[in-house]
Amino acid sequence: MELINAQNLMASFRRKVPGLSWRGLVMAGLFLALFPLLLMPIGAIFIFATRDGLSRFLNALSGAAAQFALRLSLLIALLTSILNSALGTLTAYVLSKYRFPAKRAVEILINLPVAIPTVIVGTSLLLLWGPLGLVGKYLDPLGIRPMFTMGGVLLAHLFVTFPYMLGSVKPVLEELEVTYEEAAYTMGAGRLGTFWYVILPSLRGALLTGTLLTFAHSLGEFGATVMVSGNLRLRTQTAPLYIFSQFEAGNVEAANAVAAVLAVLSFTIFFVLLRVREGRSTQRGAVDVNRS
Amino acid sequence: MPLLAKFYPWGLLLLLLVLLIAYLLPLFAFGLPAHRPSIVLYGFSILEEPITEGILPAFQRSWKQKTGQEVEFYTSFGGSGTIANLIRFGAPAEVAIFSHNWDADKLKQAGLIQTDWTQFPHHGVVNRTPIVLVVRPGNPKRIHNFDDLTQLGVRIIHPDPQTSGAAYWSILAEYGAFLLSRNPPDPIDAQDKLSRLWRNIAIFGSSASASWRQFDIGFGDVLVTYEQQAVRNFGRGLSADEIVAPTCTVYAEHPAVMFDRNIPQAKRPLISAFLEFLWTDEAQRIFVKFGFRSVSTELNGANPHFLHLSSPLTIADLGGWPNAYHGIIEDVWEKKIIEKDETVVGTGLRSGLHPVPGCEARGDPANSRRPDS
Repeated sequence: MELINAQNLMASFRRKVPGLSWRGLVMAGLFLALFPLLLMPIGAIFIFATRDGLSRFLNALSGAAAQFALRLSLLIALLTSILNSALGTLTAYVLSKYRFPAKRAVEILINLPVAIPTVIVGTSLLLLWGPLGLVGKYLDPLGIRPMFTMGGVLLAHLFVTFPYMLGSVKPVLEELEVTYEEAAYTMGAGRLGTFWYVILPSLRGALLTGTLLTFAHSLGEFGATVMVSGNLRLRTQTAPLYIFSQFEAGNVEAANAVAAVLAVLSFTIFFVLLRVREGRSTQRGAVDVNRS
Repeated sequence: MPLLAKFYPWGLLLLLLVLLIAYLLPLFAFGLPAHRPSIVLYGFSILEEPITEGILPAFQRSWKQKTGQEVEFYTSFGGSGTIANLIRFGAPAEVAIFSHNWDADKLKQAGLIQTDWTQFPHHGVVNRTPIVLVVRPGNPKRIHNFDDLTQLGVRIIHPDPQTSGAAYWSILAEYGAFLLSRNPPDPIDAQDKLSRLWRNIAIFGSSASASWRQFDIGFGDVLVTYEQQAVRNFGRGLSADEIVAPTCTVYAEHPAVMFDRNIPQAKRPLISAFLEFLWTDEAQRIFVKFGFRSVSTELNGANPHFLHLSSPLTIADLGGWPNAYHGIIEDVWEKKIIEKDETVVGTGLRSGLHPVPGCEARGDPANSRRPDS
């Protein structure tokens, strides 16, 4: 009896089908698994979006509600990225440089948004700031109504995307050579000067990564947004909400048109993200971390 | 390209940022706090098309003619229960059209509505549409009535009572049909049939519109929905043999309300004008065109696709909303069928009922889908 093992099997296969190898099989298997899982659904969006021709696709995109939804999503994403980069950097700085009681607890708490389902984030914001909410019921008679407005949506997005910026900046901050900082202090730079001229430049790559991640997550945010926005067309309806509403109303082409645009935007963002990361990793080989 | 390499990636990112900000500028041109007069309107799901494509442009034209002003509308549509809850939690609705009076009543009890909408024309009802059944081409499962939905193996797409107003109307129609098809009415039998129907439900749609979507994609054998959905889609891929008019069904009547709390004094004339507009012939004709039955019944002839219904019940026949809600939806459906709580002693409707002619007739195949004139 022939010894049955992988090598013999491969050898016998190779005799029958020249050119075949483990590598080829594994790659084919991976492709077969990923194709229906990832590639086909995304392909379906583009196929349905352009099914009735390019002019209908552009028509669906040019409607007032669709344009507003896209612009609103981009605006909220931009504002969220800017605000959270400031907040995230500050938090990372405090957490890595300062010592204070319950620091561990704080570190865990501020990473909570990643673990909480976004719908719960939305619900909790409503329960706090809504007209019947814990704080909201005192603000409501004063005319301050943060929920069901763009401000409310921004608040929800800030909450949900905060850990991404933090998680991007903090490791890099902690890895920085303290000697550079100390050298700056000995040369007479204050805390602020050190931060601006020594620390911040080395964070450029991490900040960019964090910003892009935050931007991408904010673009696609649905769970919290659907709770706090009131889903008002032309006022608080973001792109994901628009897609959902249009699909429910039966306008599949309109929904898929905007979905296709969002998909392309996300691809672009992650493409740039990858290139930046590649650039940084090749430079990690160099000793000097201050240049990015 | 050496030039590109020089600017990559920061230059490219800067360029993208500039483009992005340029794209966002029109948002501020609209005026984020709108300087134009505006109305915030919440409507239940199937109203989206008629309102956004018919009613709003017509009102905007009429208002511009009268005052020269352009009115903006901020709208949100969803299941009637969904929008009622949103408004209860503080959504800034100024006008809302619900699927049924019960949603409006709950908001009134919560103090959000001061104006009594039943004082509006036609008791505040803007349009109506009965509950019907939609089946697959050729009606392979031979469904002609609600009774046929209780058979084994029939998969029903039904709106979800937690979020959709259509669901309440459907339960009332189903139970009403079961109850009144016997003389004298037999509540035990009716409850048993409703229970069997409920077990056949394959998918709950979050709204009438969402339920249509599910059926359209290919799920289920039969859809319980508003006639408006069937009429609207007739000719858009839906054919005569797919719409079934049950012999005994209920007219869904849709009230329009306004939320005084959210309306500043200066805006009252505009809101009142919009509400009044809903009952003008022009608006009612638009509703008829999109498949709703007008409250001005003489206009209904304009749409040839309305079904021939033998005897639709109205909520008044069932004793009015509080009676129907507590007697049927709460006592029978919720407590007995969903919670299986047999200690509840409810026989359905509290007030005495007389059998309604036509509701006694058995399912007649010839009755389904004959156009009314």
